[in-house]
Amino acid sequence: MRIRCPHCGPRDNGEFSYLGDAAPIRPDGMEAPPAAMHDYVYLRDNPAGPHRELWYHGAGCRSWLVVDRDTRTHEITGVSSARDVALSRRTGEVA
Amino acid sequence: MSDGIETTWRPRSAWAGIAPVGRHGRPGGEPGLTLTLREEFGLATLIAVKGRTDALRQVMDARFGWSLPDPGGANLTGERGLVWSGPDQWLALFEERREMAGLGQALEGLAAVTDQSDARAIVRVSGPDARAFLAKGLAIDLHPRAFQPGQVAVTALAHMGAQVWQRDAVPTYDLAVARSSTGSVWSWMSHAAAEFGYDVRNAAP
Ligand SMILES: [Zn+2]
Repeated sequence: MRIRCPHCGPRDNGEFSYLGDAAPIRPDGMEAPPAAMHDYVYLRDNPAGPHRELWYHGAGCRSWLVVDRDTRTHEITGVSSARDVALSRRTGEVA
Repeated sequence: MSDGIETTWRPRSAWAGIAPVGRHGRPGGEPGLTLTLREEFGLATLIAVKGRTDALRQVMDARFGWSLPDPGGANLTGERGLVWSGPDQWLALFEERREMAGLGQALEGLAAVTDQSDARAIVRVSGPDARAFLAKGLAIDLHPRAFQPGQVAVTALAHMGAQVWQRDAVPTYDLAVARSSTGSVWSWMSHAAAEFGYDVRNAAP
């Protein structure tokens, strides 16, 4: 499996480490009820199919990436910089 | 208290005691590649302050006449210039260490500047078999259609962190590794280069 890093180009997956689901957003720890925090920390879906996930290009540019991967086939349909994803999410909230 | 005590500290090459100068590997014929052990260079990492990349670009151009490379690029003239090393990050290379004086002050507020001259070791890999040699350890495409002079990759050589940039079409590459890993790197290099026959040289002072 290869991941096309937006900064470095296509690289062997051995250069990356996997974190997990990219969807959960940390609730405000001071405001969130314990159930919401428990959900954020512990509960993950385990889909057979398309999955948005976080990968770290540790042996390359040392960037966090958001990767769209099909868990059944390893087909990768999109890779973007996690920084860009977070910034656009923030902009979206402001707008 | 320290009066009269002479220090025994001496500058020591990153390759001292590790890489023996001379002809090695396959005997006879022209060596397939030459490994030149670089020494005395100045090297610093630049990390642009958020939102100041354009200002950094202007200062590097005005002060050194250097242009910030795009991702994956190396803009070098001789032994000097800039090499991309990550988003908004570059290596600044100088032929001699003293040329780096004042770099931090010049870039104050624009970039974090860290002297890496003693942190990285650099070996120059050149010759007709240089590409085949590096291809045994780097999991990137080194074919000229994918990797050419003026391009750089931050990757791993035999699972050890490495940054490699191509200098010319001979081909010649510079390979930078953590100084602490030179023993393991050389162990791989000496085995991988043996089939081609190789010369090991010290860079001209
Ligand atoms: Zn990368």
